[in-house]
Amino acid sequence: MRSERERRLGMTEKASRWRYTLVVAFVVLSLGGQAIRLVMLQAWPDQIRIDSINRARQLVKDLSVERGAIVDCHGRVLAMDVFRKVVCADPVAVASNPCLQDVAETLADPLNVSARVLMRQLGSSRRRFVYPAGYGRTIDDDQACLIKEKGFQGVFFNDVLTRSYPLGASMCHVLGYVNLKGQGSAGIELKLDDYLRGVPGLVVGEFDGRRREIYERRKLEVKARLGASVILTLDQYVQYLTEQALLRAIETHRAKAAWAIVQRVKTGEILAMASLPAYDLNRFREAEAESTRNRCIGLVYEPGSTFKISVIAAALNEGRVRPDQVFDCEGGVWMYQRRPLRDYHPYDKLSVADVLKKSSNIGAAKIGLALGPSLMHKYLLAFGFGEKTGVDLPGEEAGILHPVQDWIDISPTRVAMGHEVAVTALQMLNAMCTIANDGVRMRPYVVQRVLDRDGRLLVEQTPTVAARPIKPETARLMSRLLVRATEEGGTGTRARVSGYTVAGKTGTAQKIVDGRYSDSLNVASFVGVVPADDPELGIIVVVDEPRDLHTGGLVSAPVFREIAEEALRYLDVPPSDAVQVAQGARPLPGGRSGRALAALKETAADETQGLD
Amino acid sequence: MWKTSSALLLVVAVLLMVGGVMVASTSTVKGLEDHGDTDYFLKRQLVWIVLSVVAGIAACFFDYHYLRHLAFPLLAVSCLLLVLVFVPHVGVRVGGSYRWLRLGGLGFQPSELAKFSLVVAICWWFTRERRKVRELARGFLYPAAAIVCVLVLILAEPDYGTTVLTAAVSLLIMFVAGVRIHYLVLLAVAGALFITVLVAHNPNRMERLMAFLEPEKYAQTTAYQLKGALDAFVLGGRRGVGLGQGVQKQSYLPESHTDFIYAVVGEELGLRATVPVLLLYLAFFALGMRIAMKTTDVFGRFLAFGLTLMITLQAIINFGVVTGLFPTKGLSLPFISFGGSCLLVSMIAVGVLVNIAHHTGGLIEEPVIRDTLHDL
Repeated sequence: MRSERERRLGMTEKASRWRYTLVVAFVVLSLGGQAIRLVMLQAWPDQIRIDSINRARQLVKDLSVERGAIVDCHGRVLAMDVFRKVVCADPVAVASNPCLQDVAETLADPLNVSARVLMRQLGSSRRRFVYPAGYGRTIDDDQACLIKEKGFQGVFFNDVLTRSYPLGASMCHVLGYVNLKGQGSAGIELKLDDYLRGVPGLVVGEFDGRRREIYERRKLEVKARLGASVILTLDQYVQYLTEQALLRAIETHRAKAAWAIVQRVKTGEILAMASLPAYDLNRFREAEAESTRNRCIGLVYEPGSTFKISVIAAALNEGRVRPDQVFDCEGGVWMYQRRPLRDYHPYDKLSVADVLKKSSNIGAAKIGLALGPSLMHKYLLAFGFGEKTGVDLPGEEAGILHPVQDWIDISPTRVAMGHEVAVTALQMLNAMCTIANDGVRMRPYVVQRVLDRDGRLLVEQTPTVAARPIKPETARLMSRLLVRATEEGGTGTRARVSGYTVAGKTGTAQKIVDGRYSDSLNVASFVGVVPADDPELGIIVVVDEPRDLHTGGLVSAPVFREIAEEALRYLDVPPSDAVQVAQGARPLPGGRSGRALAALKETAADETQGLD
Repeated sequence: MWKTSSALLLVVAVLLMVGGVMVASTSTVKGLEDHGDTDYFLKRQLVWIVLSVVAGIAACFFDYHYLRHLAFPLLAVSCLLLVLVFVPHVGVRVGGSYRWLRLGGLGFQPSELAKFSLVVAICWWFTRERRKVRELARGFLYPAAAIVCVLVLILAEPDYGTTVLTAAVSLLIMFVAGVRIHYLVLLAVAGALFITVLVAHNPNRMERLMAFLEPEKYAQTTAYQLKGALDAFVLGGRRGVGLGQGVQKQSYLPESHTDFIYAVVGEELGLRATVPVLLLYLAFFALGMRIAMKTTDVFGRFLAFGLTLMITLQAIINFGVVTGLFPTKGLSLPFISFGGSCLLVSMIAVGVLVNIAHHTGGLIEEPVIRDTLHDL
């Protein structure tokens, strides 16, 4: 049987045996080769390659964290993080549809770019993800809804935490903004960035092949700590009315710019700080450079007559002049060191009190000479000129007060009338408040408290004394003299607020154009305190380049009144008369008994030692 | 042949188990992503395993001699089905290819059936014409024409992997059947030329070829799968990262549960599993060849040889693709990869092999008479 079968198969079998063998050899060799390949790949794996694979897959992600809010002294929100929609597009998907034109036209308006630009961006790109019109363009929810309704292919939205400023341009210079990287870039946002930013969380894990996280392989997760919130001393309403008053002033006088500060005299808290032109914080990228400047602290100007208060206060404090001492005002023109000095209105003879009231340059110059350069310089430093006030805002200027050894012989006369020096509005206001605050200069500040999300107090600022340049009685005397400047016959009558006494000083400085004082371009300012007898608010108003009217008395004093009137009512400050009635006949400095006055002088003298 | 067939079944059972486990491990990510169910693919694969085992058992008890009567009708049906994939509503287009027929809930790839029935048909042809095997017409032209027809149909889907595999198996059967070598060389060269022209005219194919030649340059696009596979082997090393712990299946290897499942074996179980799996296929081949060589029936020998080679060569090509030795083409790993059609056909092939083995060992009386009669 078997031999039969072998016979039958014999021929083919013998003939093809070597063929089978060849196939078997081929298969065995193939599998053997592959085994070698596997050993090469796996037996001694390339550690460098493994590391590079793992490195490429490692995911280290900062968890973005909500930035802290900024609120005013009554908790009204000034800056906060909100989720907003960012338009994203897949250009390939958009371009594959016939509606490209339609998409571009629909998106152009909310994104504030031209449809042509979008057409180019979406029509030609081969990428699968772009931000039309660039990163960081957010749009309103209702606009997003409208776009969604159209159902465009390849157009979608991402929710992104975005900084939002509900008040827009109001308080823009104090608040500042956050750049697209989430860093505070101006104002409080910059100054307190460390607190506001919070601590981003951290995730370490692995990416999958489509660059998504593989959640079950997460190695480390550190929770984010939310940003702390900042409570400002500013009052949104006071700020609002200040801005409105400035706006009206700019319109009325067709001025180039205007700025104003409202400060609490006794504490140094700033209630309002406004600078126009301003910009919308929500659109900070479109802001012009001119409008981003906080002129209140970042712009120095020659103060003019307002500066006289510090020089005369110094002279009185030193006893170099008496309030009733009469100076010869030379009928309007005085040649000193062969240089003419002019008064706006010519006067013959004026007492020190009237020099202040009428704002005589010649009188101030002579008082300056009586004080002498080194003393004058010392007092001006004590009043805070020539150095930063230390307000907790970035971008403060120190102003210009030349060292006394650089002064020439006419310098005392010029400095006394507010020339040859440059100040910031905040410095000038502080000098005024120092006089109103019994000679105690407070450090101005805008940040009241910083609270973390659990309500723990991280920072609290309290009023701090910066210096005591003059004695309390000198200060009170100066206050009384400055009240006269707003009374009949004074330069600042338009600053008067009915029911309240106002101490203040006007200033009209000629701007320097091409190295010479300009005849037509002025900086008109008014700095004042109200109520004068129990000072609450110090306000400075500066108007840059008003047309038609130029003087501080005509341009800035009315703005002061507008702000003061409404602010006093809003802050419930009792009228001056009521104060006097309530506290009984308050003795005026002149009415004190000689002994009491002497005692007061002694203590004041001690205090004055502590100049810094 | 009891021992041989038992060993064969054992090898296949182990491969099936490895396959089930690896499909369970690799398909979860894709299942969750595409179908919202981590076990989506596993459930289907288990259904297919059961169906295939049943079909394999049936094939064990089906006398393979009857296949000679079925050979040509089966090939005709396969060709019909290969045409049907292009008919809308019956054929399903997946990723630009017409490879699927959808029957109820389960899809089926006619190319797998065609692969099987072509092998059976060629074996039968050369059994019948074995006296005239050295003639040009009967020994070469007729079978070559039929083979080319089927291959063109498979290529048209297009399914390059199955085409190459089927061509290789057909050529090798013709080779052992005794066809003149220069005919075969001519056919192989013609086929290679045809494929070259085809590839050169298909930018997609061309890019795959270039990606194979320069994997670094195409690492993010065409060679992505290949890079993912090689990374998998390297990451796995000797001991593997642990079953189920692999990262490559997380979208680094989009076909991790089908064509590239072996790479995940390499990553998760390491060298100590990849080489044994390879050895299992070698064992399968050895056992299959043993059955073929022990068979006294010519048809049985050709058939055992052809089916063994069909499965082993598929594994070899798959290994080569996954380890970067061959250019990428879609071909699954028999018994292990997810995919019902291939599994079903492979299990039927195993059943036929067992049946041949049982006829050989004298367990079933060889129908010598009928065979002889037919030869006359």
